[in-house]
Parts: sequence; C-alpha cells; structure tokens
Amino acid sequence: MVGFIVKSWAFFKRDLIESASYKMSFILEIGGILANIFSFFFIARLVGDSAKPYLAEYGGNYFPFVVIGIAFSGYLSASLDSYTQAIGKEQGTGTLEALLITPTGLPTIVLGGAIWNFVFTSLRVAVYLLLGAAFFGLDMKNANVPAALLILVLTITSLSGFGIVSAGFTLMLKRGDPVNFFVGGFSKFLAGVYFPIAILPPFVQKVSLFIPLTYALHAMRMAILSGASISSLYSDIAMLSLFSAILIPLSILFFRYSVRRVMTDGSWAHY
Amino acid sequence: MIEVSRLTKVFKPGRGLFEVFRKGPNVKALERVDLRVREGQIMALLGPNGAGKTTLIKILSSLLLPDEGEVKIGGMDVKKHGRAVKKIVGLAVGEERSFYFRLTGRQNLHFFASLYSLSRAVARKKINEIAELLGIEDLDRRFQEYSTGGKQRLAIARCLLSDAKVILMDEPTRSLDPIAACELGKLIKERLAGELGRTVLFATHLTHEAEELADEIAVIDRGEIKVHGSLAELRSKIKNPDASVEDIYRWSVSS
Repeated sequence: MVGFIVKSWAFFKRDLIESASYKMSFILEIGGILANIFSFFFIARLVGDSAKPYLAEYGGNYFPFVVIGIAFSGYLSASLDSYTQAIGKEQGTGTLEALLITPTGLPTIVLGGAIWNFVFTSLRVAVYLLLGAAFFGLDMKNANVPAALLILVLTITSLSGFGIVSAGFTLMLKRGDPVNFFVGGFSKFLAGVYFPIAILPPFVQKVSLFIPLTYALHAMRMAILSGASISSLYSDIAMLSLFSAILIPLSILFFRYSVRRVMTDGSWAHY
Repeated sequence: MIEVSRLTKVFKPGRGLFEVFRKGPNVKALERVDLRVREGQIMALLGPNGAGKTTLIKILSSLLLPDEGEVKIGGMDVKKHGRAVKKIVGLAVGEERSFYFRLTGRQNLHFFASLYSLSRAVARKKINEIAELLGIEDLDRRFQEYSTGGKQRLAIARCLLSDAKVILMDEPTRSLDPIAACELGKLIKERLAGELGRTVLFATHLTHEAEELADEIAVIDRGEIKVHGSLAELRSKIKNPDASVEDIYRWSVSS
C-alpha cells in the first residue's frame, strides 16, 4: 500500500510538472469555464420561471441546477477518460514499456496516471462553484458537505467501472473504445446534466435509471442545493453502491483479460 | 545469469475476441531457442531485421509471455516471478521516446527512481553518481534538448537506478553517430561490464559492434539461434580460424 501511494505520488508529480509546462492551456481552461458559466447564466434568465415545476426539489432555479450538473458531470468524463488516457498517453509517447519494465504493476500505472485528471477535474468543479457563488448568485449555504463528499466518492467508483473497461479496450484496440462512445456519449443527455430527466419521454426516463450519473447528479444537487441528509439520499446511495459493487469487479476481470491478451501479442507499445 | 531453454513464441494475429477484422498468418518469432549468458558477460544477439531479437529481449524483460519453454534470470522464472525479475533487469532500448520530453533529465530519473521504490535522498545521491559515471554533464535540461547520444546515456542511467544485475539493450547504437556509438560501446564494455560487473545482452545487426563489445555472440535468424559462443568457438565451429564476425554471420544466416 505504501509503495502504491509513493508511486502514485510520483505519477501525480510528473503530470503536474508536465501540465504546468503548458501555461497557456491553464489560462484557456479558466477562460472556458467562465464562458460556459456566462452562457448558462443567460440561458437561465431566458428559461426564467418556466422550469420551476420541474426543479421544485432543487429550489426551483435553473442556474444552480445546471451549474452543479455541468461541474459534476466532469467526473463522468474524468472517470471514463482518465484510465484510458493514462494508458493511451504512455502508448503514444512510447513510455509504456519503460514503465512496465520497472517493478510497477499495470494497475498502479493506470490508477497513478489517472490521479492528476481527477485532481484537475476537482479544481474545475471548485472554480465553477466559486465563480457561480461569487458572481452569479449560486447559493450553497445549505449545502451538506459530508453528504456531497460521500456522493462524490460513490460517483467516482461507480463510473470508474466503465473507465477501467474502457482502459482495457484501449490496451487491446488502441483506439475506437466502444464503452466511452456509448456511456460518455449518452450519459450526459440521459442523466440530466442540462435539464431534469422529468421532461424526457417516460420510456427514455426508464433508460436513465440504468445510468449511475443519473443518481449521482440527483443526489449531488440535493446535497448541495437543498442540504439533503445522507439518510434522505439512501436510494441514490444504494444505487451508486450497487453499480460500484457490480461494475468494479467486472471491470477488473475484463482489464486482466486485456492485459493477458497484450502480454501474449506483445502490442504494449502499439498505438 | 540468463538461461533460456526451448523458448518458442508464435504471434497469432486476428485471434482475439475484439479483433475479428484483423487477419493474417501466424508468425513464428522464436523457435526452440536455447541460450545461456554467464554473470558479468557481454553477449551480442546478432541478426537481421525481423530475426526475433526484439521478441527475445521483450520476453527476457517480462513484457511478453512465451508460448513454450523456460526463461530464468538470476535463477528466477520470468513467467512466474515477473515482478522480482524486474528488480534485477534493466532495459535500454534504442528508442528516443521512452522518456517524458517536458521533464528534465533529472526529473525523469527521479520519477523512474520512485518506481523502483528508491527514497528521494537515495535517488538524489544515486542519480548524481550515475551521471558522473556515465559522463552525463547537464541533468537539468529538458529531455527533448539532449542529443541522441545523451538520450541513450539517460536510458542506461535509468537501468542503473535499480541496481540491475542484467542489462538488456535493443540496438543501443541505433541512430547514434560513429563517435557517439564508439563512446557508448566503451561505456558498455569498460564501465557496465568491467567496473560494475553487470551482465549485458544487447541486440544488434552490426557485426563490428558485436565483435568489438561482446564476450560471446549468438546469431539469430528467423527465430532460431544458429550459432553461439565466443569468437574462438565460433571460428572453430565454421572451421575457419581467421573468420571475422561478418564471415560467421554470413555462414550462419545462409546455412
């Protein structure tokens, strides 16, 4: 465990140094967040009270609803992409074999290489919330922080199952990962990042129930905007735990299969 | 130190669950390869492109699973004890892209030192010692700013971080100019094997490189070891006491 933490820290530091060396990218990222917040601030004005019937449980305003949705859906992208990127980046830069020749397991390489992405996503979320609160009237004074943190952990673990499968596909197929395409492509739409799923046709709402992000966003909005307690969020927590319990073991099995395949065909460094 | 017996590896394209569209014939990369490298010895694995040199090196470094046969390094089976084997094996490939270009030489080495579980203080001391040993003058340049020879030295430095007893090199002088290649050759022979007593196995297709550096030479072609032994043994094998490595190589590949 200590070895894993030390090595993960080394990956994090490496990625921090690399990212900090691209200074303009940092600045543009903040600019992008500002532009996004501005857009939704004015869309919220346009929507006005018409969305209230659908947003009653979150306080009735569209802007806080959508800012929380956009900010935390970043964890969907991070969970889906981080592990894949950790592999893909090393394949692309030609460093994967150099890492594998060290006494470092592939899980450490994948998890360690994903940490920076999660930390950066958290920074983005913080910037969204801070800017929203400071300049656009986002009210978080009722937020239940422990509940929000619990939901965050469960969101990451439940979505990481898909991410680990995605990394397995990247190992074998290099590009063209079907999990990322389907889960990443449809989750934001079906889980209600930009609008409450109550406005979707009933049969589509049923499909939403099979997506962890649906429960994650609902619980996160309730915890931050309405101050919902952990006990009142039990159904979302139970569903996210169930997704984690099913997806994580399955994804590890699939990942092991893909490692075995690549060790047999020797295509570690292919990309 | 390295013992390979009846090692066979066949690549089977298009056999995977998710690779239904990839088809092609099986490629026999290695066939019943037997090889032994003694401790502190330098062995050249000499062969044309596509002979199986890289495949053998990848199996030795636990990056690739063999189909049949046994590979032991330091008495440990690479298939069963991959993690332990990695602690005593270093791999330097003639490939410029195995480091992080935006990091300095020192940052790169510190990163890899962490993967070998070296503490920061130990790593700092070791990196300075290795840099001095290998003649790496400036460790605080970004990796992308090093010459090809400098990058190759960093690759060897990375191997030494782990105290690797066995150093595997895949075409170490590829893309080096003649002077840099000569210096690297000296470094392998005088420092790695001579001073430090490391066992070195390097793949090459350059006969003069094999002749100058190696204690023993193994000629590999189409996945088979054709001959192996010291230069004297190989000369007696082909019954020509004046044969050069090139003569032996031609004889082996054509026989």
